[in-house]
Amino acid sequence: MKIKLWLIVMTVLIVFSLVMTACQPAATPVPATDEPVVVEPTAAEPAAPEPTAEAPMEAPMEPQVVTFAWTQEPDSLHPFYTDMWFSATLQQLYLCWAWEFDDQNVAYPNLVKEIPSVENGGISADGLTITLHLRDDIVWSDGEPITSADFKFTYDMLMDDANSVNSKYPYDALDSVEAPDAQTVVMNFPEPFSAWEANFWRGILPKHVLQPVFDTEGSMMGADWNLAPTVGCGPYIFDEWESGSFLRFTKNENYWKGTAKIDDVFLQFVPDDAAQTAALLAGDADLGTFIPVSDVPTFQDAGLTVFTVDSGYAEGWFINFRDMASPGIRDVVVRQAIAMSLDREAISQDLLLGLTHPVETLWDPIAGGAYVSPDIVPWKYDPEAAKTMLEDAGYIDTDGDGIREYKDGSPLVLVHGTTIREIRQDIQAVAQQQLREVGIDLAIESQDSDIFFGGYADGAPPAIGDQDIMEWSDSTYFPDPDTDYWLCSQLPSADNPYGYNYYGCDEKLDALFQAQIIETDPTAREAIFHEISKYMHDNVLWYGIYSDPDLWVVNSNLTNVKFSGVTPFYNIWEWDFAK
Amino acid sequence: MSRYIIRRLLQAIPLLFIISVLLFVLMINTGDPLSTLGGRRVTRPEDRERLSRQLGLDQPIYKQYLFWLIGNDWTKVDMEGDGIAETPGTRKGILRGDFGTSMVQRGKAVTEIILDRLPNTLILMIPAEIIVIILSLAVGVYSALRQYTVTDHIITGLSFIGYSMPIFFIALVSMYIFGVNFKAWGLPYLPTVGMFDPKIGKTTGQVLLHMVLPIFSLTVISAAGYSRFVRSQMLEVISEDYIRTARSKGLPNRMVITGHALKNAALPLVTIIGLDIPLLLGGAVVTESIFAWPGMGRLFIDHLSRSDTPVVMGILMMISVAVILSQLITDIIYAWLDPRIRYS
Repeated sequence: MKIKLWLIVMTVLIVFSLVMTACQPAATPVPATDEPVVVEPTAAEPAAPEPTAEAPMEAPMEPQVVTFAWTQEPDSLHPFYTDMWFSATLQQLYLCWAWEFDDQNVAYPNLVKEIPSVENGGISADGLTITLHLRDDIVWSDGEPITSADFKFTYDMLMDDANSVNSKYPYDALDSVEAPDAQTVVMNFPEPFSAWEANFWRGILPKHVLQPVFDTEGSMMGADWNLAPTVGCGPYIFDEWESGSFLRFTKNENYWKGTAKIDDVFLQFVPDDAAQTAALLAGDADLGTFIPVSDVPTFQDAGLTVFTVDSGYAEGWFINFRDMASPGIRDVVVRQAIAMSLDREAISQDLLLGLTHPVETLWDPIAGGAYVSPDIVPWKYDPEAAKTMLEDAGYIDTDGDGIREYKDGSPLVLVHGTTIREIRQDIQAVAQQQLREVGIDLAIESQDSDIFFGGYADGAPPAIGDQDIMEWSDSTYFPDPDTDYWLCSQLPSADNPYGYNYYGCDEKLDALFQAQIIETDPTAREAIFHEISKYMHDNVLWYGIYSDPDLWVVNSNLTNVKFSGVTPFYNIWEWDFAK
Repeated sequence: MSRYIIRRLLQAIPLLFIISVLLFVLMINTGDPLSTLGGRRVTRPEDRERLSRQLGLDQPIYKQYLFWLIGNDWTKVDMEGDGIAETPGTRKGILRGDFGTSMVQRGKAVTEIILDRLPNTLILMIPAEIIVIILSLAVGVYSALRQYTVTDHIITGLSFIGYSMPIFFIALVSMYIFGVNFKAWGLPYLPTVGMFDPKIGKTTGQVLLHMVLPIFSLTVISAAGYSRFVRSQMLEVISEDYIRTARSKGLPNRMVITGHALKNAALPLVTIIGLDIPLLLGGAVVTESIFAWPGMGRLFIDHLSRSDTPVVMGILMMISVAVILSQLITDIIYAWLDPRIRYS
């Protein structure tokens, strides 16, 4: 009797499982919209494909689907509710920027007729007004025209506290945005803002979709559009998002540059690196990124194409020269000795398979090094010279334990911190060994990212100054050279708990950074950065380890594939499968 | 028995309260959800200060817990940062069924996020658990009845190998053999990741096909361990006097084994399975990550890494309730299986 009951229970469980399989909840429901109005393409850009002649009636071809193995699921598809790279990168699929960036990271007009400049009158002589002239043939995927009202709406939504956007930057640098007519947007600044091209109008919001939500709910934070942007302006439109599983986009028939050649873009969320590699090798995915460097030869042997794309990131050591840092790291001689003690070339070759190279400044990967002083002499790996420098400065190993001491007899110990990423921990191990050879003891520690990058109030080690050297990969506001990391006003303290200058206040550096952001003359601005880069390099305030490009692995059957470091999928509507 | 059940349920209330306090304090201290917001750069100070205020993260920990528990619609909050609390709160608190909204997927309800993933986890974990139970019973009994034979030694060896292998190793090896290499060798192969092939669509057949490797990985280790447990229990029971009595009464061997020995040997297994059942809701983090299965395990780890307190607390409280209920059910089943057990 009891055995029968067990059998019944087992059967019920099995049937329940099968029922659950069949009765899956639908993916994120797509709000009902009107059928999009198919707009006849107007006179196209030279790059737009020629309309094909009418073909004889044939059976419909199977839709072409390109599958991406995406290691991080986006948290939102709303451009202002996400900072995730894996989310922002998708914007060229379903959204549109005023200007985008090609595979040389050079801006080209997208929604605007031309990039504003002083020469074409788009930027006023004093740099306080920037005027955009929009194309008149641009439409949303539902046929509604894209106008200056959408730009003004985007600005208004960003600035409204009720929306709690992730960041108001750089729109908080504006005085106002005006829309005098449907094709004109006027941006008014209280003072010049030279980094405008790299930072403004990344993702325009559809006013006709989100204004009603804002009017009804008082915020766009809960809008369905944030997770299901069914109205967009890119070559693809959002179709479906199943949490934890996949995202699907289908081609936008109203795209003004012409219909994409590939019908669907399917993003499979594959969080594990090894599983991503397996999926690419097995052909279950056509594209992957953020792949382990060690897998690159495997991909190349399997006939896949690996793209290396500069996105402005460089792995480096941020030096803490605040008062609480150790006396050793605050001594420029010690820092220069460190710079000569690490064999960065060997790190690039041995740990990174020669796929990258050492960098001297944070500006190396930007615009072909245009912002790097030509007078910089790269640090050479020369441990003997480092030892001599330290000896001459009075750092002697008096007790014969291999570690030099300060004049007061205490050991020369520096604390190096980073996150738990494997490559960083490998670099820590190498650095510890190589610095020991010159008599510097490197105490290494690592924390999880959200602890390491926490704030002063959370007691995050970099923020409170517990670490002398902090390593991570970072960029400027790429492709612009601007950065505010070394501004004295950003020093964290009890009064300024969210400040993120974890390095120190150098009056000269602070003045230079403040000068460059308001400098409207490109040549003069470049000269300021030459001075900044040389000063920081010679004083070893930031020590470059390697250039950190993005790696993309692509199925060799995909053609016309190009990547930009700023807007990676800028030409995805031209991609196709080889016939 | 009814009084016992009611007493256990009433005892669960303060227990859940204590659990929620401990978990909340732990969660608040695991990291800063605003440090990078999942991006590659540190959040700007102005934005961090504003978001901290707007998301209620600038409140003292006891206040954050209170709002999580009973909501904040009975009070006003300062959204603009001018020091004046003039914006009415909108949260109702978990005691009124509002688990809040995610700080990662802003605006999306925690219950919606969990319910999106829960069925996927159950689809994977329930069949895996059933297979583990069946396999461990079959192998354990078979091995016990043939103690010290060659078969028993082979089974023992394989069990130790299976039990000692880490799950990620089994998962990746099986993926590479049956997915990548079989395809390269021109053999029928299994899919590597996901719930279905996007070119075919989400059909029952596709989901079942994609379940094979994850379930295989999940069952190998558990079945290996449980089969050893069943084997030792069986060996203990079949040497008992009542088994000798049953045999001497002339009962068929099958009846002796299944009707008497197995029933008694399986009793401790009920306890272990009872502990397993609530953990089914938590999914299998490693397996789901490797096979890209969209389940609760991945949901938990993704939101934990972003310090998304509302979602993590929602998952943990759901599992806590499930543990308490499953323990109660286990005790009841135990008493039903073994008439000697009575609860006062």
